[in-house]
Amino acid sequence: MSAPTFGVKVPAHERIVLANGLTLILVPRRDVPLVAFNAVLRGGETADPAGKRGVASLVAGLLEKGAGARDAFGFADAVEGVGGIFNAGAGPESITVRGQFLARDQHLMLELLADVLLRPRLEPQELAYLRARQIELIKAAKDSDPAELIGIYGRAFLFGDHPYGRPVSGSERSLGSIAHEDVLRHRLGQFGADRLTLVFAGDIDSEWLTRAVEQTFADWPRAQRTVSKLAQPARLGKRRVLLVDSPGSTQSYFWIGDVGVDRHYRERPALDLVNTLFGGRFTSMLNTELRVKSGLSYGARSGFARGSVAGEFAIRSFVQTPDTSSALNLALRTLGKLHDPEAITSAMLDSARAYVLGQYPLHFETAADWAAVFGEIELFELGSSYIDSYAPQLCEVSVPQARRVIEEAFPSPEAVAMVLIGDAARLRESLLEYGPVTEMSLREPDYAAARAFAGEELAFT
Amino acid sequence: MKKSFGSHPLHAGVLGTPAAAPLMPGRDLVRSRTLENGLRVIVWPVHDIPNVALYNWVRAGSRNEAPGITGLAHFVEHMMFNGTTRHPPGEFDRQMEAQGGANNAFTSDDVTVYQDWCPRSALDLVLDLESDRIAHLAFVPEVIESERGVVASERRLRVDDNNQGLLSEQVQASAFVAHAYRFPTIGWPSDIQAWRIEDLQSFFRTYYAPNNLTLILAGDVTAADAFALVERHFGPIAPQAPPDRVRAREPEQVGERRVVLRRKAQTPLLQYAFKAPAAADPRGPAVSLLLSVLVDGDSSRLHRTLVEQKRVAVEVGGHWHEGFDPGLLWLYLTLPQGSDVEQTQSALDAELAKIAAQGVTDAELRRAKNMIAAAFWRKLATIDGKAQLLGEYAVFHGDPLRLFDAPAQFEQVTRRQVQAVAREILDRRRRTVGVLVPEEEEA
Repeated sequence: MSAPTFGVKVPAHERIVLANGLTLILVPRRDVPLVAFNAVLRGGETADPAGKRGVASLVAGLLEKGAGARDAFGFADAVEGVGGIFNAGAGPESITVRGQFLARDQHLMLELLADVLLRPRLEPQELAYLRARQIELIKAAKDSDPAELIGIYGRAFLFGDHPYGRPVSGSERSLGSIAHEDVLRHRLGQFGADRLTLVFAGDIDSEWLTRAVEQTFADWPRAQRTVSKLAQPARLGKRRVLLVDSPGSTQSYFWIGDVGVDRHYRERPALDLVNTLFGGRFTSMLNTELRVKSGLSYGARSGFARGSVAGEFAIRSFVQTPDTSSALNLALRTLGKLHDPEAITSAMLDSARAYVLGQYPLHFETAADWAAVFGEIELFELGSSYIDSYAPQLCEVSVPQARRVIEEAFPSPEAVAMVLIGDAARLRESLLEYGPVTEMSLREPDYAAARAFAGEELAFT
Repeated sequence: MKKSFGSHPLHAGVLGTPAAAPLMPGRDLVRSRTLENGLRVIVWPVHDIPNVALYNWVRAGSRNEAPGITGLAHFVEHMMFNGTTRHPPGEFDRQMEAQGGANNAFTSDDVTVYQDWCPRSALDLVLDLESDRIAHLAFVPEVIESERGVVASERRLRVDDNNQGLLSEQVQASAFVAHAYRFPTIGWPSDIQAWRIEDLQSFFRTYYAPNNLTLILAGDVTAADAFALVERHFGPIAPQAPPDRVRAREPEQVGERRVVLRRKAQTPLLQYAFKAPAAADPRGPAVSLLLSVLVDGDSSRLHRTLVEQKRVAVEVGGHWHEGFDPGLLWLYLTLPQGSDVEQTQSALDAELAKIAAQGVTDAELRRAKNMIAAAFWRKLATIDGKAQLLGEYAVFHGDPLRLFDAPAQFEQVTRRQVQAVAREILDRRRRTVGVLVPEEEEA
């Protein structure tokens, strides 16, 4: 195996941990007069009790709706008045606040960031409206974006009551039940210095930022609660089907998945190479079968979500309704083929390796890219070697390693959750051959029906 | 995903720099040259990462189509990945990916653009593959049939199963009566089924000639190396007679048009499409600033009044189609379930009337200029953004270096100029209104 001709190394940076546990990372870089920040608060959607799905996402949304001396309008005026970007959002294991400002506005940037973290207003009337608007946006997505929604149904059906099964942004029903006290409770329990990693990258004034962050955040106490470790979700072991009815839909949008691997999976380079070959690029096995050779679909791909515990591996594609079975069979057959001992050759690995290495630098081009990467490294405690050792490790991946990864991380086609959004009247019969079928309507205001049958063997035909 | 169509890939232009920002680097680095066969080549050397972004702009889009062959420009784009007389179908992607390159393409009303992102080490191969498909594209009948299915699937995803897409297709088709901007870039379903190999060949021959292309490279390559490589690969390709110019001129719209769709849905939609100037119009910066004041961000007028205060919409967006010919300025609104579209429409009309009558405030104009300037810097931070902006200015404004004048042009726009374009564009008589009314599902 030849040595890598290039790779990506973590750039020079400073990492400072304050006495209260806050981690500050500074990544100076002077190509354009911009600064990027990324504030990662460990916790997120999975930190909340079951039954309160979407609290973290509402808390994140409310952070921009008034903080410190500014109400919601004042806050938006302050950010956008100087051409800034400021976005708060929730994920399964964190709330993140990210943004970019012109370098000359970094004082304002820190002031706004400190306000949302230390002094968010979280006003009841803003909550009421944000909640109502979120519900409407879910309805709108159901009318126009089935391909985007399918992962939510997939995760609910696969993970059931495990926190990864919860829709991060809630459901129409769960959002309706979230009260102001839930929001306050989340903030008290989950916000605090020990939870926060603050990354600043770009054309920054490091000295000033260090001093200002120390002064501003020194008295911030730790969060009242600790982040509980998530249970490792269990593999499926058998096949089951969820059919989400969208009458009149011209296509079936499908998702085929199982529990995959976590962030610390030791064979990540081999995993990336195999997934590149299976469903991660245009010439992948999946896209070749479902698009290039058959013309059945505009595209098919696969990927892993890797959290502190194993998230999902999933295949996604879509196909016109009458061809649904052909496409499902092809996807399952292709997944089966991946498990053939001869599926991956050394020449294939070389091609995937060149592809991953060749595209890798493009993910680390801007200050905002690095702010995101450092946040992730801290959140999942990955260490700089996650980036620095990646290219050398990629170069070492062998065929036997790839085979081992296939057996460890990629499910058998006999043991997957299959989820479809489509016209149930035209699909119902044909899906019975794949396993027990659960059916629900896309109009249902919750994903409970998907969760209720996760893990049960009840045939619902 | 790759090889996508988009009716509006060129976002309202992102330029304008506040007085305090430093000078934009690049003007002295960009080099351009026209080969003997008419191919225009523009290079921006940047050596931050060992990669190159390549954009090949073809002056052909759905604007160059006719009834019966709508969607052809986009379909030719798909066929560009499906084999040449030298390489069988699939080889383009296989070779490029095996050397670390990725690619994509998009088609709009005006242009078709091919994009590659590759390590410097693969640039020779990438240019070989790019020139090969211009010189030797093959149309293999069985591949055409299979690719027809792919495009039909793409259409169902973006239009037939997407209410916003479906409504905007109808609005655009109604907004123009003479100009080919009325055609959906993806093509009407019956045309997708009916394209013939001769249609493809003739369209390809007409538009895919070096003298109708602009090739941009940004990244880890010197101008001298880039020109030499491009000359070697593209130099031997013969020019063609320039394509006929698009002669159709849309007549003045003299009254509001209205499209009402009834669909199984939960959420009502409202769209306005106003007649608007072409990309190169001198009023362009004022149009972009007007749109920014209206819909850009949470502090924009329409978001604040319609979404936050009156709550007659849950989302507001907008877009100016900057094309070769005068196009449309769009506003898109998503309404709450069960709401009265008439009420939202009157609230929207009141806001638009107000901006035409009273103009924008100093603070609004400052905000819009700053947002556009910051977006510009963010774009310039990547080789992809650099290649894209250079291409837009070369193709739609005639000179890539105008890119570097744009910040000052935005900065100079006055409140009076923004109000003037608001008055002219936001005119009821020159708009097409689209409404999607949800219908209950049958039991």
